Amino acid sequence: MTTSPGKMNEPVVRVQNLAIAYETHSGDVNAVRDVSFEIHRGETLGLVGESGCGKSTVAYGLVNYLGRNGKIVHGEIIFQGESLVGRSPEELRKLRGDQIAMVYQDPMTSLNPVLRVGQQMTEVLTVHRGISVDEARTRCVEMLRRVYMPDPEAVMGRYPHQISGGQQQRVVIAMALLNNPALLVMDEPTTALDVTVEAAVLDLVADLRRDFDTAILFISHNLGVVARVSSRVGVMYAGEMVEQAPVREIFAHPRHPYTQGLMRCVPRLGADKAGSVLYPIRGRVPAPDRLPPGCVFEPRCDYATEHCRQERPALRQISNRHMVSCLRAEHIRASEWQPTEDIIPLMPAADAAEPETILNVDGLRTYYKQSSGSPLDLIGLGKKRYVRAVDGVSFTIPQGKTLGVVGESGCGKSTLIKTLIGLEPMTGGAAQFLGFDLEKKASKRDMGLIRELQMVFQNPDATMNPSYSVGTQIERPLRRFKVVPPNQIHAEVVRLLRAVKLDEHYYDRRPRQLSGGEKQRVGIARAFAGRPDLVLCDEPVSALDVSVQAAVLNLLLEIQREQGTTMIFIAHDLSVVRFFSDYVAVMYLGQIVEIGPAEAIYAPPYHPYTESLLAAVPIPDPSVAQQHIRLEGSVPSPLNPPSGCRFHTRCPRRQLLPDGGAICEREVPPMQDAGDGHQIHCHIPLETLHDLEPVVQIAA
Amino acid sequence: MLVKDYMTRHPILVDTSRRVVEAQRLMAESKVGHLPVVADGKRLLGMVSRAALSLRPEQLEGLSFWDLTDYMARLTVGRVMTPLSDIHTISPSSTLEEAADLMIAGHVTALPVVEEGGVVVGIITQTDLMVELRNLLGAIEPGWRVVLRVPDREGEFRKIMLALATSNWGVMAMGCVRSPRHPGFWDVLVKVRYCEREELVAELKKIAGQEIIDIRETTSYTER
Repeated sequence: MTTSPGKMNEPVVRVQNLAIAYETHSGDVNAVRDVSFEIHRGETLGLVGESGCGKSTVAYGLVNYLGRNGKIVHGEIIFQGESLVGRSPEELRKLRGDQIAMVYQDPMTSLNPVLRVGQQMTEVLTVHRGISVDEARTRCVEMLRRVYMPDPEAVMGRYPHQISGGQQQRVVIAMALLNNPALLVMDEPTTALDVTVEAAVLDLVADLRRDFDTAILFISHNLGVVARVSSRVGVMYAGEMVEQAPVREIFAHPRHPYTQGLMRCVPRLGADKAGSVLYPIRGRVPAPDRLPPGCVFEPRCDYATEHCRQERPALRQISNRHMVSCLRAEHIRASEWQPTEDIIPLMPAADAAEPETILNVDGLRTYYKQSSGSPLDLIGLGKKRYVRAVDGVSFTIPQGKTLGVVGESGCGKSTLIKTLIGLEPMTGGAAQFLGFDLEKKASKRDMGLIRELQMVFQNPDATMNPSYSVGTQIERPLRRFKVVPPNQIHAEVVRLLRAVKLDEHYYDRRPRQLSGGEKQRVGIARAFAGRPDLVLCDEPVSALDVSVQAAVLNLLLEIQREQGTTMIFIAHDLSVVRFFSDYVAVMYLGQIVEIGPAEAIYAPPYHPYTESLLAAVPIPDPSVAQQHIRLEGSVPSPLNPPSGCRFHTRCPRRQLLPDGGAICEREVPPMQDAGDGHQIHCHIPLETLHDLEPVVQIAA
Repeated sequence: MLVKDYMTRHPILVDTSRRVVEAQRLMAESKVGHLPVVADGKRLLGMVSRAALSLRPEQLEGLSFWDLTDYMARLTVGRVMTPLSDIHTISPSSTLEEAADLMIAGHVTALPVVEEGGVVVGIITQTDLMVELRNLLGAIEPGWRVVLRVPDREGEFRKIMLALATSNWGVMAMGCVRSPRHPGFWDVLVKVRYCEREELVAELKKIAGQEIIDIRETTSYTER
């Protein structure tokens, strides 16, 4: 029996024409305008959109948590039959405790760092409901078990910093559920987590919705995540709801040009740069105080007409349960869309000649010394322990190619490239780059070598000096490396700015005047200023919105093709890595478990770890069948890696071997060559791995 | 078939200070007949129902129109609710029969579902039980609905099952009840599919001592 008797009831929450504004010095800024939706029991409404579209404001508005300068201008929020607008803070506080719960992106903002997990959790029940401490404890342990927390009794006694990020988020979710809320608001709850942990948390959300009949508002910028958990999806743009439909419907037949644009920005798993192109949406989200007079999306829309410039479309029913706010929705065919010239990336043909090897890494090791905490340490006699962050990594990269590196956090991806660039001292092994030895630290390296080896960082904010103008920041490497004569520096900066699709006006701007995508472009311009041969990119697009991400990826590809640059590209998004890279290395606990041409990594035979990663990737297409493989626990400590195969403690495929994989615990797995440079480190014979069912079945 | 599978979770709740007129409006707008009255932490204090809130003429005797308006405006849920001591509650892990029994005994049409500690987790109403009854006897897909009257003795039920099993027909639903007004007999309802009426009748008629008292074809129901 799939129907629950609750379905026909009134929705748990109904939002009608909600408008929220923030008071600023220059008057009210309307962050959310005329948003309407409802959520029933046991239903998840996913809200997607770029940053600045008002998704979070809607969520905070629901519980009137808008801060001092935020206010609900008009509209209604009906929760369980009663309006929440204009309620006293005291009433709302009670409601938030009893019937509405929220889960935020960063679990640490909801946990008290100085209280043990158990203490914080039981408090919810003892203070609020007057339940006895013992009874509350039992219930909390039960709830932790419910959210699949390993060893819940022990976790109750730990402090938040002693458990992993994924576990912290589970504690927050368990706490939110202790009061059995009717409405659960989740604002990017998995954004800060690894794919494998994210997959487990998303499974959990789906289970909870079913078992507790909770109405969930789920906010995410990630289309894949939304596709996995939502029953309905609402797309927000510039403070308005532009489209709303059941999840399958919206992914199969997006009707609003913005929704269609978003979907063209994300690489499908399995797509590569040779066979497909990402199309960013041109322009950017307008500031709430500078909205166009007609349709808010009109300036970025390929289908805009004069009519769109004059009339603001309202959200209207286009078919059963599908609503869209576009005047021309009936006339738009997504399949007939042609990119306009300004967003087609220029892709000079790659050299067909057999390229030379530019980087040769052999048995690279980077260990961090860890004190044992014993008093003997003070006199240097303590037993030395090492965190084996990178432990015997070997690979080569041919010139002009890209090596993608994937793995969960803590697997050593970042340490690997930090060692190559000389920010971390090498403990052992060798790395040869264009005949240079990469043994020395960056400060001791030859200027020529530094110039040839550059890096693009994940967080452009942290790597730009806020008090220098953009021009000055790009000039610096030009001067240091004497790339061009001093009198041509300005012209070269302008050329670089143009190359990253920014114009001259940006020369005098400060970092704070730039958007995230623009900052990353400046970071890229700076990295490429010295015309390096090898660029190391550490999650360069992870912090960016999908449409900006598409633009930045295209930009990197263009520059790479033009300059023949070689790249190492770290990203946690497997679809992006597949799209961007020629070769992919999968790392686990400081070692490469599988390496090979990108297309080979994404189809059997693959390493069981790669298989689990692929099973965890959220795919922005609800019609794709994905196998359900989930890794238990988190990555073991690199201080004391497991014996034999390091993955044996979590490997879901061990039982394929005789004795349940006893050999995995004893012996280091052999390297198996699957041909074409594709290497897998695993005890399971290649033939067996080859016969595994593909993780992702893409519907034809 | 437990209360927790059929109850409505997250029912609309009110507190004692809520005015009766507001509670009435809330019930009308949300199309519900009952509201659990709770304290902090969703702990149950009582119930109000649409029926109980309708005023009886004798309550209004001697009140003028203005007094009445004033009286109504000041009347709170706390004063008119049926207090916890006078209502039946049920636990989420109870059976539906227990819920039905409590409703019959208490002459009520809904029960608040509470966990230990008195926390309200849901509400179960007559309608929920009706849905269950319909699904239990009717299943959802079309088929043959046969009622057999069988003597009250060992082995009769087995005969029916054997007859259906040897013919490979699917049983979608069944129910047994003591025959009303026919002591010594049971009425057995089975809902069968994948067969023709004639073959079904022929097969069941072979069973000695049992009588087909009703057979009809049923169609699918609206889902709920």
